[in-house]
Amino acid sequence: MKKVLIVDDAAFMRASIRMMLEKNGFEVVGEAENGLVGIQKYKELSPDIVTMDITMPDMDGIESLKAIKEYDAKAKIIMVSAMGQEPMVMDAVVSGAKSFIVKPFKEELVVQTLNKVLEL
Amino acid sequence: MPDRSINEPMLDIFIFETVKQIEQLEQLIISNEKFSCYTQDAINEIFRIMHTIKGSAAMMLFDNISTLSHTIEDLFYFLREEKPEGMDCTALSDLVLEGVDFIKVEVEKIKNGHKANGDAERISEKMRSFLAALKKVELSAAVTAEYSEASGGKRQYYISKDKTAVNTGKNAFKALIRFEEGCGMENIRAFSLIRDLKDITNELRSIPEDVMACDGSIEAIRKEGFTVFLKTDLSYKEMNDFIMKTVCLKELILAKLDDIEVFNKASQEKRIVLEDNEIESPRLHKEEALTPAGLQQSIISVNVNKLDKLMDLVGEMVIAEAMVTQNPDLKGLELHNFQKAARQLKKITSELQDMVMSIRMIPISATFHKMQRIVRDMCKKLNKEVQLELIGEETEVDKNIIEHISDPLMHLIRNSIDHGMENADERLKKGKPQSGTITLTAQNAGSDVVITVKDDGKGLNREKILQRAKEHDLIYKPEEEMSDKEIYSLIFLPGFSTKDNISEFSGRGVGMDVVVKNIETVGGGVSVDSAADKGTTVTLKIPLTLAIIDGMNIRVGNAMYTIPTISIKESFRANERDLIIDPDGNEMVMVRGQCYPVLRLHEHFKVKTIVTNIPEGIIVMVENGEDSICIFADELVGEQQVVVKTLPAYIRGMRKIQGLAGCTLLGDGSISLILNIAGLFEK
Repeated sequence: MKKVLIVDDAAFMRASIRMMLEKNGFEVVGEAENGLVGIQKYKELSPDIVTMDITMPDMDGIESLKAIKEYDAKAKIIMVSAMGQEPMVMDAVVSGAKSFIVKPFKEELVVQTLNKVLEL
Repeated sequence: MPDRSINEPMLDIFIFETVKQIEQLEQLIISNEKFSCYTQDAINEIFRIMHTIKGSAAMMLFDNISTLSHTIEDLFYFLREEKPEGMDCTALSDLVLEGVDFIKVEVEKIKNGHKANGDAERISEKMRSFLAALKKVELSAAVTAEYSEASGGKRQYYISKDKTAVNTGKNAFKALIRFEEGCGMENIRAFSLIRDLKDITNELRSIPEDVMACDGSIEAIRKEGFTVFLKTDLSYKEMNDFIMKTVCLKELILAKLDDIEVFNKASQEKRIVLEDNEIESPRLHKEEALTPAGLQQSIISVNVNKLDKLMDLVGEMVIAEAMVTQNPDLKGLELHNFQKAARQLKKITSELQDMVMSIRMIPISATFHKMQRIVRDMCKKLNKEVQLELIGEETEVDKNIIEHISDPLMHLIRNSIDHGMENADERLKKGKPQSGTITLTAQNAGSDVVITVKDDGKGLNREKILQRAKEHDLIYKPEEEMSDKEIYSLIFLPGFSTKDNISEFSGRGVGMDVVVKNIETVGGGVSVDSAADKGTTVTLKIPLTLAIIDGMNIRVGNAMYTIPTISIKESFRANERDLIIDPDGNEMVMVRGQCYPVLRLHEHFKVKTIVTNIPEGIIVMVENGEDSICIFADELVGEQQVVVKTLPAYIRGMRKIQGLAGCTLLGDGSISLILNIAGLFEK
């Protein structure tokens, strides 16, 4: 089973994503509530893939993405964004995010995105 | 469509988190309103909270909440970026609080299983007008909610040429790509694809040409798809496989163009700039990486039912541990190793119990802070000035109990502002500070939590209360014999109210007795004291936790009783010469020069025993507040941690037994009745 790290400051979002992924054969090995904890957990758990929220306190998703990519250039990170955050998503893509999903999202799309990115 | 039935477990989390965030939001608004206006930090946080609620609500298909949140988010985004000056902060606060109230109501509906069908259009409209007015003042026509503009100017995205690859570009392709419905931000997906294609091509053209042009490109891509013309060395199959890896790809129509001329003609649009500029990624300073702020305490939400079950189990374990270590089978045996092990077991059980109890304790600060809103709203409506002072908000109370404190506190505060507080003029005339003060305090007192609501208003009107009580036939004692405190306590009787007009907030006579009932439900008590023109103080006394206490077991005849250790001052065997009879015929015992009344348990509970001569039994002196009495029993059996079980319903239903708090199981399986010391004092 592929290992996933979920980074989001909203417990609700973390739980929603976890539920979707666990139903579809992923193993959620960890959760983080901001970018700093996200980096720490990435180093601890070495997940196969990361879902990263953009807007978070203490350190946002873009900064965290950049830090993780610097630690592990091969890191596979998918941004989770809301409508209207185009420039930030652009920034993320340019900084190495493999793909992104837009809230509110449907389960099939999330699963498809993760699977495709894992194949890359 | 996300299946609603699958979302049910998410509903609890959604409600829990949203309620927490709304409370946070309310606090932010009220505290910022006091200090001139909103700080930058507050604006950021409010923005983030609305952003989160917007997202979560959308996931749960609560579109009215999501849309309203979005409107508020937009408003605070503007405030964050533009920092407008001279804004009417009170108007803003009122507006946002209106939005907060709407969301509160909707969440309440959801909690109770109803549809969240409120219409937020009116509030949203007000907010949009407020925002529009702000923008006009700013005179910036170009500033819309376009995040791209606001984040520091248009960006140019350059794709660096891969210097090592040698592309002769012998094949030309045309690819028409369609993305899945609902995948969002198709223009960025297109951009991302173009960026990936740089690895295999030097020459690329696309339709639409500039995918990052904000207007229209997303729509165009959705309607007509995204077309790419490129020259590469890859074969058809390789090209196909490459593009098929694209996330959210719905359809790919790939055509190899044989004629280079066709390629040139077909793609007359401007090229994407392929530059050597590198994209700068700022380096993360390694020292900053793991600051203490980032390593927050890990917190996890737990279902309260699970906690309750855990408490029950721990309680049962305490009983089971006693049943093992105090088993009658072991009586008289010399078991050193066993005793050692038993002590260890007891130690661990004790620690476990302390830990579980502490898990359920939460500081009362959240409840106290909720009162700020009440004070603010009441002051506005009644045109009075009142400050709320909080002392001891870090005091912890069992979660179950906190829920029963909130409503009574709200009512007491409303009462205080409505009835007790004079308006500014009256106060000044009396020489009081213009602004009234209500002080909420919480502190631990033994095994209870004491919460007081104290105001510096005009106090209770003794005569009026007596009058009203007589009218409603509530006097139970000749009035000359009633102390001030007793008279003031009349306000707690059902049906009592001295307010002539029934206001929106109080005066219907159903408030105070509900307060009392709520507090008594959790085993506590309410008392009140007052002084004319100085103010009124209402005191709530609530047990910390009901479940497990340290007790001293005593025997009377064949019956076993347990006295809460915390109430015991001392125990001793009385001497004949220390026993006296007072002028009313009551038995008293002298202890170090002081006289204390004796309570014969066997008489009180009508239990048969052969030990009726006081010097042959044991005296246990217990205290309740400032008073003490001496309980007379046959013998002390031993100290034990005891799990309090309430008396069975059918007993409680038959009659109220003064002096019993509950019952418990002892180590040998027998039942012991737990004494309620306060109840014993009332004869």
